[in-house]
Amino acid sequence: MNITDLKIAEEATITKVKAPEPIRGRLYAMGIAKGNRVRLLDHTLKKQTWEVDVEGTRVALRDEEAKAVEVEK
Amino acid sequence: MKKIKAVMVGQPNVGKSSIINAISNARLHVGNFAGVTVEKKEVEVRKGEYEIDIVDLPGIYSLHAYTPEEQVTKRYLLEESYDVIINVVDANVLQRNLVFTLQLLDMRKKTILVVNMVDEVEEKGGRIDGEKLSQLLGIPVILASAKHKKGVDEILDRVIEVYHQPKCGCKIYYNEKIEEEIENLAKILLKSPHFTDYDQARFYAIRLLEKDEDIYRIVHDLPIFLELHEALGEAIRRLQLEFDVEDVRDLFADERNALAKSIVMQVMQLPRQETLTDKIDKILIHPVFGLPIFLFFMWGLFQLTFEIGSLPVDYLDQTITNFANWLKDILPPGDFNSVITDGVIPAVGAVIMFLPNILILFLGINLLEQTGYMARAAFLLDGFLKKFGLQGKAFIPLVSGFGCTVPAYMAARTLKNPKDRLITMLILGFMNCSARLPVYVLLISAFFATHSAGNVLFAIYIGGAILGLFVAKVLRMVLFKGEPEPFVMEMPPYRFPSLKALAMELWIKSKLFIKKAGTFIAGAAMIIWFLSSYPHHPDLEARYIQKIEQTQDPKLKEQLQNELAAKKLELSYLGQFGKMIEPIFAPLGFDWRLSVATISGLAAKEVVVSTLATLYAVGEGNEHSSTLVQKLREYVDFKAAVALIVIIMIYSPCVAAMSTFYAEVPQWAWRTFYTIYPNVLAWLMAFSVYQVLAFLGF
Ligand SMILES: Nc1nc2c(ncn2[C@@H]2O[C@H](COP(=O)(O)OP(=O)(O)O)[C@@H](O)[C@H]2O)c(=O)[nH]1
Ligand SMILES: [Mg+2]
Repeated sequence: MNITDLKIAEEATITKVKAPEPIRGRLYAMGIAKGNRVRLLDHTLKKQTWEVDVEGTRVALRDEEAKAVEVEK
Repeated sequence: MKKIKAVMVGQPNVGKSSIINAISNARLHVGNFAGVTVEKKEVEVRKGEYEIDIVDLPGIYSLHAYTPEEQVTKRYLLEESYDVIINVVDANVLQRNLVFTLQLLDMRKKTILVVNMVDEVEEKGGRIDGEKLSQLLGIPVILASAKHKKGVDEILDRVIEVYHQPKCGCKIYYNEKIEEEIENLAKILLKSPHFTDYDQARFYAIRLLEKDEDIYRIVHDLPIFLELHEALGEAIRRLQLEFDVEDVRDLFADERNALAKSIVMQVMQLPRQETLTDKIDKILIHPVFGLPIFLFFMWGLFQLTFEIGSLPVDYLDQTITNFANWLKDILPPGDFNSVITDGVIPAVGAVIMFLPNILILFLGINLLEQTGYMARAAFLLDGFLKKFGLQGKAFIPLVSGFGCTVPAYMAARTLKNPKDRLITMLILGFMNCSARLPVYVLLISAFFATHSAGNVLFAIYIGGAILGLFVAKVLRMVLFKGEPEPFVMEMPPYRFPSLKALAMELWIKSKLFIKKAGTFIAGAAMIIWFLSSYPHHPDLEARYIQKIEQTQDPKLKEQLQNELAAKKLELSYLGQFGKMIEPIFAPLGFDWRLSVATISGLAAKEVVVSTLATLYAVGEGNEHSSTLVQKLREYVDFKAAVALIVIIMIYSPCVAAMSTFYAEVPQWAWRTFYTIYPNVLAWLMAFSVYQVLAFLGF
């Protein structure tokens, strides 16, 4: 499963980031990296943009990027 | 006196600037980094027998630089010479920040770590063990709070201390297998005379394993390149096999993340609780209510801008008019009297009047930025902006554009993709800058009912934004095919804005504005006055003066006087110029005065107002003390006024903004396009609006 499968306020552990470089590097720099805990905070009405909390950092990402982050509960 | 050069590096929003401001007795210089328009802040401070020079580098998330600003910082770190690195981190998100610190420590430069915002961690009931952190990393650690000026001056002591150490005491090593490969590569690098120092070779080896193109370019020209290239390929293959990864970059990311995590676990306790930011976000970026709330905020801002900002306008206007009339009587009659009372005072006054409006708008934009709401707005609008071929981050330059187009062009640097950036910059001019506000406020007060004024103003701003989006869509479809760049953005926590910083910004803004009014606009007004008063026509004047003396009727006297003034103006240089360009603007219902005012707006948008003030003041008898608003109602019809508003909304921004665009965009084709298309579009739109209004019977 990936971030977009989580329900709001649900937590999970990141297992893999599949986005291509250089976006992958950017996600890593924001703390979206293997082993970190992620919590889904919110999404827009049409689920096009997502907000997550990773280890205290809030990050906004688009659908494409959110789908590229695999998680495990 | 010994000089120490230090650089301040950290991720965005960790409080670097706040720390720089909090250092006591420091002298601040603001400039630009060589060759680019990224602001460079530098402070000089004396400590004992040392003079310490600290450069505030732009925020950077990672040495894998992504945005142009990050590239500036990376290049500075790699190429410039300095003695000490001051790495600032945010205690609230220590783990994420430490990942970057570990990248910096690869450089093995003399480094100190400043853990800022400890006040917030303590407030949440957390604790950080600075000594333990220092032991683990092998570098000095300072727990600081720029907000409470805690630990700030200790930074200088530590800088001096590490300056005297022979080298960095860093203790960070990666997994044995990785270190082995690093060492192999470093040895090859050391064969080249380019490298004298093992630490530097080690750093380059790490960066090469991480496929850093900037470093690759440097080693590319070295004689050892062939050997290195081969060894690098093998090392990468071995590591991929050993650790079962597809990309060695992932391996380093994992290593650093795991290291950072274990360090944080050892030095910090931070109870996880629902923060204020969580609670506020539940409302402000609510899937359903988020957007309406955002629109309400924007609407409120423009209402405030107009309602409160225009409270003193009538009063100021009357005062300035009275002052000019009073001065006219006491100064000896002649050119000097006229240039001051008909030229400079009405022009500068007409602009100064709008200072309150501009300050409120700037305050609003600053508040959006400082509180952290701007990032939420980008989040809310990303999906919407994507439809127009833009991305959420473009919202930040777009909103800054409501303040001033110049910094907005610079803010577009946060967009990495050159196409996205260019599209955003091409439509930034449609975001009405605050210099245009005086023109709108003047025209709205003259031609619309007071109760609808705030809404008309809001409509103008929204209208500009919608037009901008529409143009973006067209550009994306016609000239820049392709997807907009991905959207990944940190949402900073909500913070109460620092009142001192806000007041400071407003103060600087007012100073700049008054300076501009007193110099640039006063100068432009003098030129306009001269052009509208010369050449003289003695026979014409003599004829009228004779006529005036002959009549007894005071009404007729006044009428003749006005006629004379109007004739003189028409025959002046400016009148001639206006007559020349009048045909271009005639289909919009402009007389030559509006035409001249429109052209003068290319110098600066406020000049439109001051030019109108001068042109309509000259054509008037002395006894009247009617204000500019009354005169406009008399001379300009409603359709033309609306057409003028449309022109101002769309045509080229001022010269300062245009030159910034030229500086940011090197391609001549785009510069030419940028210079021409808004003006053509403005004319077409104004013409259509004029025709529609005429059709509707206005
Ligand atoms: N509570 C708290 N807030 C701080 C501290 N230092 C900076 N801030 C706030 O953090 C925000 C970002 O600071 P700034 O200096 O602009 O960060 P920069 O991007 O690193 O230059 C501002 O709102 C500051 O007021 C601190 O020590 N404590
Ligand atoms: Mg800063």
